[in-house]
Amino acid sequence: MPPRNGSRSLASSARLLRRPSPAQNTRIAATSLNKSFSTSTTRASPPPTSQPTDAAFTTVSPDEVSHFNALASSWWDPQGPSRILHLMNPLRHDFIRSCRASVLDDPPPPSTGLKYLDVGCGGGIFAESAARLPSTASVTAIDPSPEVLSVAKAHARRDPALAEKLSYANTSIEQLPLPQTPQETFDVVSVFEVIEHVSYPAEFLDRCTPFVKPGGWLVLSTIARTWTSWLTTNIMAEDVLRIVPRGTHDWRKYINEEEMRRHFLQKRTGWAEPRCMGVIYIPGFGWKEVSGSEKFGNYFFAVRRVAES
Amino acid sequence: MEAFMLSSRQLRRPAGNICRSCSRRLKLRATRSYSSTSTASTSTSQPDIYDVVCVGGGPAGLSLLAALKANPTTAGLRVALVEAQDLRKLRSWQPPPDRFSNRCSSLTPSSAKFLDRIGAWAHVDRARVQPYHEMQVWDGVSDARIEFDWALDQDAGRAPAGRKIAYMIENLNLTAGLLRRIDELGGVTSFEGAKVEDITFGGETDALDLREWPVVQLAGGKQLAARLLVGADGANSPVRTFAGIDSKGWDYERHGVVATLELEGHGWGGGDDSKIAYQRFLPTGPVAMLPMPGNYSTLVWSTTPANAALLKSLPAKDLVALVNAAFRLSPVDLQFMHTMSSGQEDEVSWRLQHTPVSAPQATPQPVIGVQDGTVASFPLKFRHADTYIGERVALVGDAAHTTHPLAGQGLNQGQGDVEALAGTIEYAVAHGQDLGARMSLEPYLARRYAANHVLMGVVDKLHKLYSVESGPLVPLRSLGLSAVNALAPVKGFFMRQAAGSGGKLF
Ligand SMILES: Cc1cc2nc3c(=O)[nH]c(=O)nc-3n(C[C@H](O)[C@H](O)[C@H](O)COP(=O)(O)OP(=O)(O)OC[C@H]3O[C@@H](n4cnc5c(N)ncnc54)[C@H](O)[C@@H]3O)c2cc1C
Repeated sequence: MPPRNGSRSLASSARLLRRPSPAQNTRIAATSLNKSFSTSTTRASPPPTSQPTDAAFTTVSPDEVSHFNALASSWWDPQGPSRILHLMNPLRHDFIRSCRASVLDDPPPPSTGLKYLDVGCGGGIFAESAARLPSTASVTAIDPSPEVLSVAKAHARRDPALAEKLSYANTSIEQLPLPQTPQETFDVVSVFEVIEHVSYPAEFLDRCTPFVKPGGWLVLSTIARTWTSWLTTNIMAEDVLRIVPRGTHDWRKYINEEEMRRHFLQKRTGWAEPRCMGVIYIPGFGWKEVSGSEKFGNYFFAVRRVAES
Repeated sequence: MEAFMLSSRQLRRPAGNICRSCSRRLKLRATRSYSSTSTASTSTSQPDIYDVVCVGGGPAGLSLLAALKANPTTAGLRVALVEAQDLRKLRSWQPPPDRFSNRCSSLTPSSAKFLDRIGAWAHVDRARVQPYHEMQVWDGVSDARIEFDWALDQDAGRAPAGRKIAYMIENLNLTAGLLRRIDELGGVTSFEGAKVEDITFGGETDALDLREWPVVQLAGGKQLAARLLVGADGANSPVRTFAGIDSKGWDYERHGVVATLELEGHGWGGGDDSKIAYQRFLPTGPVAMLPMPGNYSTLVWSTTPANAALLKSLPAKDLVALVNAAFRLSPVDLQFMHTMSSGQEDEVSWRLQHTPVSAPQATPQPVIGVQDGTVASFPLKFRHADTYIGERVALVGDAAHTTHPLAGQGLNQGQGDVEALAGTIEYAVAHGQDLGARMSLEPYLARRYAANHVLMGVVDKLHKLYSVESGPLVPLRSLGLSAVNALAPVKGFFMRQAAGSGGKLF
């Protein structure tokens, strides 16, 4: 196996640290996942209210949440298991910036006063950083795990610059009240390293999309489902390198970039301008954008909500 | 291990939300002190919250502040300077054109380029800056010379004509220029004539946890809480002590004697467009004469503390004679003259008649005078901090490393540090990172530590190689110099360092 694959295994394992789950559970979930993601029919988004909105319905797997709680304390340890996520974080901003800069609207979209919704914020690595940007007006960050969220809140107290802009809510996206007016929507809705761990990704994304402002962006990151990623995450990271506990990966939950694209552009309406960036982790060097790598490894994906005319 | 004194940490909670501005008004009733004897831990004054607090307004600290304020990404940061000296003297620094300060540094073109990029070079008094175009380096014992065939230096990629190896500049000219640039940019809160009394950690409220934030305590009770505390506070850095970062090294048992010299003419090239820097390795240490504008030069003579004491005590005419001798006579003759308490002038002129003359350019033009009050000396040390970063702490310049002046790199290393740290801070700000978090600072460490270490190692080894008078090392040494000549990579290293592109090494 070439060394590159070994490095990718680290990348994948970091992502998995966000939502590790026992093997049996994910296997069941994965079956339904693939079905739900590939067979759901075209419908407009935001989804009609006839979709399940009761509090009992959730795309969050309880096992994912509880398994993750154990990792909460190490979230901000720069040498801990989340290090690789910390290192990835600047690329998220580069990607969002490049997406926003790639549209040629006239007049151009505002470059300040931006509102973010970070879904599955974890310890707040992205949420804190987004709140610190001078171009940001506010960041709402949500996560269903109370332990993780308390870590996020405790950490945010360490930075006096955050209180004004950053607010956390211990909730799943299902329980977050839908925006009633355009003012309640967000310029950027981010879903980083989450999608591959939710039980019903199509439904999950349908929960997120109503929060995107027309002209705004849904941005996510995940990993492609390929033989390489199966080898690097399931075999290398778990069995060979043992960076993460066995059974935390379910490769069948991974979603390929083409599938993501098809979901938004063919199975849903009101979305345009898909963007993608493949990234690879090189030990000792950090994360690097490698064009084409989205086909087999970690990638960022963004899609823009069509502005209403 | 430092003792932490914990006293009551209750803090008065401000009403409502803590925003950035009102948190500045937070009353810290108690702080954690790094020194167990500190009484500041019960201080009741208010800490002001800054993104960057820079302790030290020397070349390194002022460059950092100018760099941060000149860059649109970092210009909005709340920045404070704490400098023990009164900077008003520096602001009004305007010496007569024919007097030069004895603290001069050799600035590489890459340092000059950096200073230009941050808008400070234009504020430097250029009439007092002297580029040099040639270097003469030789061994006093074997007389072997390093041949710098600049014209053949493909790596440097520069035409030999108009090539500047480096710029000689008074430290005060540089710092005064930097200060003017900072004043022009505005936005730096400056505490001048303010000595750091103590550095403690912040306190905690329900809404705010500053227990990992350094709080700089100034005389008079002023407290500055720092997202990032920068130690640009020189070789005895209080910031480094606070951060618990050890600085290892040794003393060279040598002092650097400095003075401003008056020469017979404007250099062998006949003007300021073609000047030569000279350095001769003597068994006691290297002696260097570096050109300043007109018929002035600056002396940096590394020698034993006893010799240094003698040089400082001599009447001007005898010192002048010894300096001339240092570039011409044999080390044995020279050492003899250090045993005389006076009369060096006659002794030197007699001995010079019996010394074979080399090509005139090979030695500096004769010195005819020394400017009053410019003869001084300082002990030479080798120190390298174990790291340059900690949680909410970064070290730059002499606080991070002190080296032998023989390669003229001390100030340039500091400029390199500042450039890298400012770049690291810029990246952190542009990506929403907490610029004081150790992780955000890691790129700074990675960019500078190894580079400084290699350079300092080479400088140190050169000093040791040439500071032995006889025995097996002398033939080795002349071999060494020839080897320097023969070994293109080693010479290339020197030439690149001189050209300030040493970074290419990595
Ligand atoms: C006496 C002397 C002569 C030298 N001569 C030469 C020379 O001829 N050529 C050469 O190349 N190099 C020389 N050097 C070395 C050169 O000056 C340094 O490399 C360079 O100045 C380092 O810059 P810096 O900004 O890192 O530190 P410094 O220039 O040392 O600046 C540190 C600053 O921090 C301030 N400070 C320190 N402690 C506190 C505190 N507790 N509170 C507030 N402020 C504080 C000091 O007042 C000072 O202004 C000399 C050094 C010394 C000490």
